[in-house]
Amino acid sequence: MNGLARASVRFRPASFAGSFVALLFAAAMVMACGTLLQTGVTAHVAPVRYAHVPVVVAPDPDARITVGHGEDRETEGEPLTDTPRLSAAFAPRIAAEPGVAAAVPDIAFPVQGAGLTALTGRNWDARAVEGVAAAQGHAPAAGEVVLDPGSARAAHTGVGRTVTLTAPGGTATYRVAGLTAPGTAATAYFAESAAPRLSGHPGLADAVAVLPRPGVSTAEAADQARHAVGRAADVRTGDGRGAAEQPRLAGAKEMLTAIGGSFGGIAAATAVFVVMGTVALAVGQRRREIALLRAIGATPRQIRRTVATEAVLVAPLAGLAGLLPGVALARWWLDQLVRRDAVPHGVTLAVGWIPMVVAVGAGLLAALVAGLLAARRPSKARPSEALGEAAVERRRPGVIRTLLGTVAVAGGVVLAAVAAHTTGDDAASIALAVVFCFMAGVAFLGPVVAWLAAAILGLPLRAGGAPGALAAANTRANARALASAITPIVLVTAFAGTLLCMQSSLQHESSRQIRDGVVADQVIGSAGAGVPAGTAARAARVEGVADAVGVLRSGALYRASGALNSTSVLGVDGDPAQLPGVLALGLRTGSLAGLTRDGRTVAVDTLLAATAKVHVGDRISLWLGDGTALRPRVVATYSRGLGLGSLLLPRAVLAPHAASAFDTEVLVHDGPGADAGAVRRALADRLGVPGLRVTDRAGYRAQADRDLELNAWANRVMAAVLGGFAAVAAANTLVMTVLDRRREVALLRLAGTTRLQVLRMLRGEAVLVAVAGLAIGSAIAWITLVPIARGLTGAAPYLAPRTAAVLACATLLLTLTATTLPARALLRDARGA
Amino acid sequence: MATTGTSAVELRSLTRTYGRGEAAVHALRGIDLALPRGSFTAVMGPSGSGKSTFLQCAAGLDRPTGGEVLLGGEPITHLNENKLTKLRRSRVGFVFQSFNLLPSLTVQQNVLLPLRLAGASPDRRRAQALLADVGLDGHGRRRPGQLSGGQQQRVAIARALITRPEVIFADEPTGALDTGTARDILDLLRRAVDTMSATVVMVTHDPVAASRADRVLFLADGLLAGELHTPTPTAVADRMVTLTARGGTSLGAAA
Ligand SMILES: Nc1ncnc2c1ncn2[C@@H]1O[C@H](COP(=O)(O)OP(=O)(O)OP(=O)(O)O)[C@@H](O)[C@H]1O
Ligand SMILES: [Mg+2]
Repeated sequence: MNGLARASVRFRPASFAGSFVALLFAAAMVMACGTLLQTGVTAHVAPVRYAHVPVVVAPDPDARITVGHGEDRETEGEPLTDTPRLSAAFAPRIAAEPGVAAAVPDIAFPVQGAGLTALTGRNWDARAVEGVAAAQGHAPAAGEVVLDPGSARAAHTGVGRTVTLTAPGGTATYRVAGLTAPGTAATAYFAESAAPRLSGHPGLADAVAVLPRPGVSTAEAADQARHAVGRAADVRTGDGRGAAEQPRLAGAKEMLTAIGGSFGGIAAATAVFVVMGTVALAVGQRRREIALLRAIGATPRQIRRTVATEAVLVAPLAGLAGLLPGVALARWWLDQLVRRDAVPHGVTLAVGWIPMVVAVGAGLLAALVAGLLAARRPSKARPSEALGEAAVERRRPGVIRTLLGTVAVAGGVVLAAVAAHTTGDDAASIALAVVFCFMAGVAFLGPVVAWLAAAILGLPLRAGGAPGALAAANTRANARALASAITPIVLVTAFAGTLLCMQSSLQHESSRQIRDGVVADQVIGSAGAGVPAGTAARAARVEGVADAVGVLRSGALYRASGALNSTSVLGVDGDPAQLPGVLALGLRTGSLAGLTRDGRTVAVDTLLAATAKVHVGDRISLWLGDGTALRPRVVATYSRGLGLGSLLLPRAVLAPHAASAFDTEVLVHDGPGADAGAVRRALADRLGVPGLRVTDRAGYRAQADRDLELNAWANRVMAAVLGGFAAVAAANTLVMTVLDRRREVALLRLAGTTRLQVLRMLRGEAVLVAVAGLAIGSAIAWITLVPIARGLTGAAPYLAPRTAAVLACATLLLTLTATTLPARALLRDARGA
Repeated sequence: MATTGTSAVELRSLTRTYGRGEAAVHALRGIDLALPRGSFTAVMGPSGSGKSTFLQCAAGLDRPTGGEVLLGGEPITHLNENKLTKLRRSRVGFVFQSFNLLPSLTVQQNVLLPLRLAGASPDRRRAQALLADVGLDGHGRRRPGQLSGGQQQRVAIARALITRPEVIFADEPTGALDTGTARDILDLLRRAVDTMSATVVMVTHDPVAASRADRVLFLADGLLAGELHTPTPTAVADRMVTLTARGGTSLGAAA
């Protein structure tokens, strides 16, 4: 039988091209996700900054909670939202160990000055970490700074002269005590005594560098450091130091694992699904051949073996061909993530054999199973049945099919209901799972769905003359072939629609909340790292200003039952009573008057309160950006958290624990009767901090939440990957079904149908397929999105009309092209025949 | 009629109905027939009279709605697909009205296919000899797509003969052939009957072709409408004219 299969594949590769294409793209997608997953699991970065420090004591990059009781106790970790930090007080304790020569806290903070951007402020001792010696001058005393030569040149200063620098802790003029060696990173070293205060997070360091005494091994020094800090911090050596240097590695790994795992799972399922559909179609198209074989004397078993052999011949080849494109996709994806700062530099793609085996194996298995299932009926059928000239379509779909379809749809509905209670990160993957359930339902119930669609949509078609009537009749008679063309279109629409719409719903609601919520008359922002503390107070003294409130935006984790979720935090300066003048939070319950400055109280967004199941008066567990845990009491709930920040804390509580202690913006409320233009000019003149810009309220940047932007981008990429795959599948299927109609087209031509009429008929069918697919896909996307959007934004889903139109047009174009091109080829052939 | 023991093919009140209820088509309405071993039978009748259905039911390619089919005295109606297939493979050769060859295989591979399916060693020399017999010497390496309709039909006949079957069913084997080639094919079938004592059942519309058979059966409207022994072309043609003139109404069979 092997010979038979090989002959089919070799001599008529065209009939396997469809399966080959589907398998290739499926393998590429699975390979890409698998590679990202493996990268996420194995990623590490080599230490650069800490390369000369054998032992580094670093904070735990994850927040941890314990869930469950007794036997089931489990620790759940979630990467912190900002830079993890640890107490600088560990340094003297570690230094006291006998084998430790020195233990230096490493402090870094953003510094800006006239002509200087992206300058890093450090404590002078930290140079021990890098081994940088002052090339000129001496160590900085209080009021002094050591700069790198490049920055000194940019600020037009030099040793012995002065420079004005703004750090989160304040703005001051410093004397330049010395310069580091030429070519070193843009850094400003401050006196050991001054750096902590300037950093805005006194008492906290990014890490403690441990330098062992001569003769003390790294392992011994690490043991002693561990002894000194106990379990309060991680002691890292070797490549582990890279993770300490890049605290975001933990988050990056989690994200890569999520992309590779959850999205990869969906992608793999979709791939298997599409491959099965395509292979089934390909086998179905060879019904006549199978019947002939049966008539000549092939047993059902022999038929099944032939089909299986064909799968084994085609699938591994296609899978192998898809590996390289898959790696390329993963590489592009990772590069983009690195460029977007979501993954630290130095993380390299881990290309392993496991994803390869999975990618090729999944395709092979899917092709085998699909081929065998599809061959089951024709292999068992009476040879005469399938030999009939006009292969009569079976009308009633099987019981198992109907049952499975119904179960899948029901599962989708149940999952959609569950999805209503998810937040942020999980929403996308649950949404995909919901879509997937519905998709499976559509696939199982396909012929019924297609028949219904054809019956409904055929009405207007029939009005379109002979070609239209033919198209309508064809689609109804060939519901099964039609279904296999509609299914991938539904797939494209549902996946791309859901992912894009989820994001646009978030953004739409978020910007609506910002539009309604920011009522300030002026917004002071910064072109650099931020607005230094105290700017708000000075702005308040400017003539015509009633109130000025500094706001700091950061991230935090909160506990909702057994999980840690990330969210956005708004830190506000000054008296909460002034807040309504600049920000209309949309207070629902409680009062902001109760928001104390000691970090024992918090106001929360209503959606977050619902997720965390807290009410006014309850306590909520929070982890600020650097890992500091708080358990404040909720004093108020408000509605515009999505746009403005889902947690509200006093700035003083938040700033020392945020990535940068600069204010993000200062919001100004003009006094009664003040001329807005005049106030703006006055503010621009008087504040005297370089790099500030004053705008009206439209200048409040649409939530500069890195997470949100990254999610938006990630969703777009996922939509593109899945949608692209589904689009290829759709085109592939359409081409296959059109090419399968060679005989029919030849017959129509012989019967006197003009080329144009045949083309019109096929186009009519394509439009029917596209419209049916779009309608069903949109319905699925909508059913999926309504509960999820409600959970995420509290509003109905929203998709920009333009995006929707582009999606619809692209789908229509795709179906028309994938029909017309092969149809033209057929017509060319038919003329020769 | 011949007794059961010696019949190559025997049909007992065979009926075949396509579809159900209102839309039901009674292709065969009850056929009783026995074809002795080593006989050459032609089946004639107007288009749509049920000839192909009759042939497929008799060959075990289709399952009758009612009645029984015996091949070599063995009832096949209740065999499962596997057993039926194996029986067909070893005892029956079939030439279809159209679409006879697998497009992916060469002519020779198509001819050898039944042997390969049976797991027997492919007898290439016999395949070549058979191809030469049907006038296709040297075409063995071609693909079916490169042959004319008549040539494809001839390849199918070579394939039907390769297993030396006891019964050969041929559905209009000469329908697409010129008189010369048709005569060659009929000679071939005749020789299979005379020298290999095969039983041949052939559907045809051609009175000349039918006259090469020992006996001609006439089908009309799913029923036997008579038969002719040692037919001549004119007798067959006359019978056909009366049959068609009656509009397919079945009358009692006249021997
Ligand atoms: N698969 C089918 N479903 C429904 N009806 C069928 C089917 N196959 C054949 N028929 C009907 O059964 C009857 C007999 O068909 P059959 O093919 O046996 O005719 P025939 O005598 O071989 O005709 P021809 O000489 O044109 O080949 C016809 O009326 C035909 O319409
Ligand atoms: Mg016929």
